[in-house]
Amino acid sequence: MENSRRVLNDIRVLDLSQGVPGPFCAKLLAGMGAEVIKVEPPGTGDFSRSAGPFLGAGDDAQPQNSALFLYLNTSKKGITLDLEQPAGQAVFRRLVQECDVLIESYPPGFLDRLNLGYSALEELNAGLVHTSVTPFGQWGPYSDYEGSDLVAQAVGGLMCTIGLPDREPVKIGGETALYTTGMSAFSATMIALYVRDASGMGQHVDVSAMETIAVAQIHSSIHYQFGRTPARRESNLVQAQDGWVSPGLETGAPDGTWPRVCELMGVPELVDDPRFSTSEARRENQGELREVVGRWAITRPKEEIYHTLQGLRTISGYVATVEELVNSGQLKFREFFQELECPPQLVATYPGHPFRIDDQPVPHSPAPGLGEHNREIYCGRLGMDQAQLDEMTLQGVV
Amino acid sequence: MTGRTTSPALHGLRVLDLTQVAAGPYTTLLLALMGAEVIKLESCSRMDINRGRANPSPGDPRLYPNGEPGETPWNRTAHHVHRNINKFAVTLDLATARGKELFLDLARISDVLVENYRASVMDRLGLGYEVMSQVNPQLVYVKISSQGATGPEKDYGSLGSTLEQTAGLASVTGYEDQLPMMSNETFPDPVVGILAVGAVMAGLRQRNQKRRGCFVDLSQREATVNLMGEAYLDYSVNGVVAKPAGNRHPEMSPQGVYPSRGEDEWLAISVSSDAEWQGVCRALGQPELAQDPRFNSAEARGRNRDDLDAIITAWTSQRDHYRAMHLLQAQGIAAGAVLKGSELIEDPHLTARGFWDVVDHPEAGSYRQTTTPWKLSKSPRLRAVAASGLGEHNSYILGDLLGLTPGQLADLETEGVIGTRPTE
Repeated sequence: MENSRRVLNDIRVLDLSQGVPGPFCAKLLAGMGAEVIKVEPPGTGDFSRSAGPFLGAGDDAQPQNSALFLYLNTSKKGITLDLEQPAGQAVFRRLVQECDVLIESYPPGFLDRLNLGYSALEELNAGLVHTSVTPFGQWGPYSDYEGSDLVAQAVGGLMCTIGLPDREPVKIGGETALYTTGMSAFSATMIALYVRDASGMGQHVDVSAMETIAVAQIHSSIHYQFGRTPARRESNLVQAQDGWVSPGLETGAPDGTWPRVCELMGVPELVDDPRFSTSEARRENQGELREVVGRWAITRPKEEIYHTLQGLRTISGYVATVEELVNSGQLKFREFFQELECPPQLVATYPGHPFRIDDQPVPHSPAPGLGEHNREIYCGRLGMDQAQLDEMTLQGVV
Repeated sequence: MTGRTTSPALHGLRVLDLTQVAAGPYTTLLLALMGAEVIKLESCSRMDINRGRANPSPGDPRLYPNGEPGETPWNRTAHHVHRNINKFAVTLDLATARGKELFLDLARISDVLVENYRASVMDRLGLGYEVMSQVNPQLVYVKISSQGATGPEKDYGSLGSTLEQTAGLASVTGYEDQLPMMSNETFPDPVVGILAVGAVMAGLRQRNQKRRGCFVDLSQREATVNLMGEAYLDYSVNGVVAKPAGNRHPEMSPQGVYPSRGEDEWLAISVSSDAEWQGVCRALGQPELAQDPRFNSAEARGRNRDDLDAIITAWTSQRDHYRAMHLLQAQGIAAGAVLKGSELIEDPHLTARGFWDVVDHPEAGSYRQTTTPWKLSKSPRLRAVAASGLGEHNSYILGDLLGLTPGQLADLETEGVIGTRPTE
């Protein structure tokens, strides 16, 4: 690579957000080379610092040990600032004048009440891209409502079809809806930067978890309108020796694959069996197909089944755990995971940046401790002296 | 709304769209709604598989309006109609020399090319990045693939439903101690569609800085793995392998989905503190519960989960899920109705925010279309315009844009290079 310059090296981001979506957006910007300054309330910091799982046994009260916080805040600088004190607001206005992008996740109206909303900040910095990430957006009947990953999956129309017909709907695990909202915020911010690059014009970007998930439900609303009501259903996974696979023989197998699969499974008599000999027949007789394939699959490891059937050009899958993904040959080949030293004496494995440009590496550095870069930013950047910083610290502003 | 309104954000940006099925079409749909000129390229012998076939068989899983394939089934499937709004539709047979030539002509006048084939397909056609970057050195080539452009699995095929398995989501989705569940929404597809928009913008920014195009390599599997980052840190340091946990959450107590009044109606509730629990007690009209030692800390609420669920269920099952959501939210509690497609298209909040556009599709009828997950105050999105018929814009794109005469277009049609009906 001729140089290590990255695409957002000229962009400075103030990350005021907490939790998952805003910080994930800012992390993606940092991965593209932006300088991200994370601004946290003094004392407590981002509330995700106190969210489990915590790394390392015994000292799980240590605020630097939250896996969620450590993952979501890589490659950022960390400062503390109390926005509710006038002195903090004055400092904040100076920081805004020197940044290109502001990411925040306060309840709508909170920053306006401090006279730090978009209309006030636009006066200070006309090119500012101000991205607000909230559960329901900046306006509308639910804009003051509280959200969570579960609530986003519910109101976005995603989870109504997940789970068994005779039980309650179940969400996709983890914080996936909130991460996806962070991806929305990232893409929207990049669009706003594109406009700004061309025109110099900044703007207010309104991203909501409900709308993100309503975009991510790609069947429920359109199927209903075309006359089919989507419903929860039994899983079509097949049990392998050590877990679950989807052989994919009823969805994506080209002609010629079935005879080879029969040979593999030791059932040559089924090659011309009309129940299975075409994709459509296999789809119609899925239950019987699952029994046939199941007798073979239970004797084989799931990854072997996946590779074997993919080799025959079926669109097969296997349910991979976190452990198996860390050891995946494909992901290792691409050097996707990165190891970072995080809290003292711990090394953790981190998923890498979700895309690459011209195969440039995306190095990460560990998430900052609370206020770790106060001196660098306040003294180095804003030109305060130590006495001023001490004074602000004494007053609880930083 | 305040602020000046200017032209659409991506006005003047031309995107050559070779994508099919879901993740790629979602990417270009969002680009189109933000103002890009998206040219969707198919051939009459290999249409986007979402279009269906000329003569659908009785077992065809594709969905047509009220189950009726109609005269032009390939223009009427739900997935095609829903995923290809605001795009120009052109047919070109890339297996023919003339088709390839015209494709390269289009690439010369495009800013972005997006494709989501298996890794080697474009190379086999002689249209891989090496070739394309010579044809148009300014081209931003965006490759969205299952596994990325390199590696032993680069030519593996996938669907959203297999990606949620191979990227780990299924391993954490489902009821506690039971088998993994699929989203039934091919969730990694829209997720990647949303993310890839930012990747396209990053590629364009790099082009503007370096004055030459670039290659963007987006692996759907890697993007999806990012959705559960904390689980990888937890595994690598603590040795914990994440498992399905139903609707439970490590910090929220309670968090769950409770039955509401009506058939298969549900309400989601997340309670993150003791103060919020007191709010739940007020909403339930049982403030005395807040003092009940069975429930007065997160730890106690976890221990007495069954009692707690019974009390909440007794209340929710008497109420409409929207009504219960509003009562709980009035006390500051994160609560949400589990909305079905039928409710989502009528939701008052989404409607007030202009999320849905009514689209009148000439061949499939009128329906409500999802739009963008973001609103830019000064760069509003475009209104949704019905998905185009197969080859509908051949004459505009190949004629007006590339300068072919009506006679040349007629010849191409006779030779089978372009067309408006499937040939399979």
